[in-house]
Amino acid sequence: MGIFSTLEVSGSALAAERARAEVIAANMANSETTRTAQGGPFRRKVVVFSSAGASTFRLLLAGYNHLAGRSPGGVRLVQVAEDSAPPIVRYEPGHPDANESGFVAYPNINPIQEMADLMGAVRAYQLNASAVNASKMMLQQSLELLK
Amino acid sequence: MALLPILQLLEGYLGVAATRHQLITANMANIDTPGYHTQDIDFRSELHKVLDSDRGGLAPAVHSVPGLLQRPDGNDVNLDRESLLLAETQMQYQIGVQIMKSEFHRLLSAINEGK
Repeated sequence: MGIFSTLEVSGSALAAERARAEVIAANMANSETTRTAQGGPFRRKVVVFSSAGASTFRLLLAGYNHLAGRSPGGVRLVQVAEDSAPPIVRYEPGHPDANESGFVAYPNINPIQEMADLMGAVRAYQLNASAVNASKMMLQQSLELLK
Repeated sequence: MALLPILQLLEGYLGVAATRHQLITANMANIDTPGYHTQDIDFRSELHKVLDSDRGGLAPAVHSVPGLLQRPDGNDVNLDRESLLLAETQMQYQIGVQIMKSEFHRLLSAINEGK
């Protein structure tokens, strides 16, 4: 276990949180989208995170193979799933996507929920960015020994 | 010539601090992972373990931290706890590096004065 691998761990979290922010942005951008390639209105997307074990190569290199199962690693975005909530229907008979009874199916997206989620992603990103800074400072201090 | 004993002690100390730092960053990385539990080591007992054995290579005893408030998704990472520990570990590491540096300077001055 070295300080260099902590950069990798924090980096994985930065990537995951950025992807989460992107998904949230896509949800907000498509809050009124009634047509998609799959047909029907846009479905709200949610990210699924899973903790990733430290990479096996590194563990082998460090002789920590017996730790492979439980050594903490970074985080991994395993899936971008669709929210199963039914779409919101509004009565708009003049809309081109209205059904026979005049109802249009709109995506079930709550802007307040998305904003709160986005704030969570930003805060988590900042937290991990500060962890990167801390690791970087520790590395620099160790390099000072060479001077 | 054997390495100065204090340098060996400092090496162990820095190793434990680095291990703890890695666990803290892993906890921070998993702040949004459902079902993740905060991982930590006992600094004191790990330090004793490293100092008592001649050389490193011993696996640190990583355990889940009990008594933390669990969120509905099963995650119990506490942002304040991790931020505080990150700062603390960084300082501990800095102490070790500074002492090591001063030891090297002492050694260097002994070499230079002999000229």
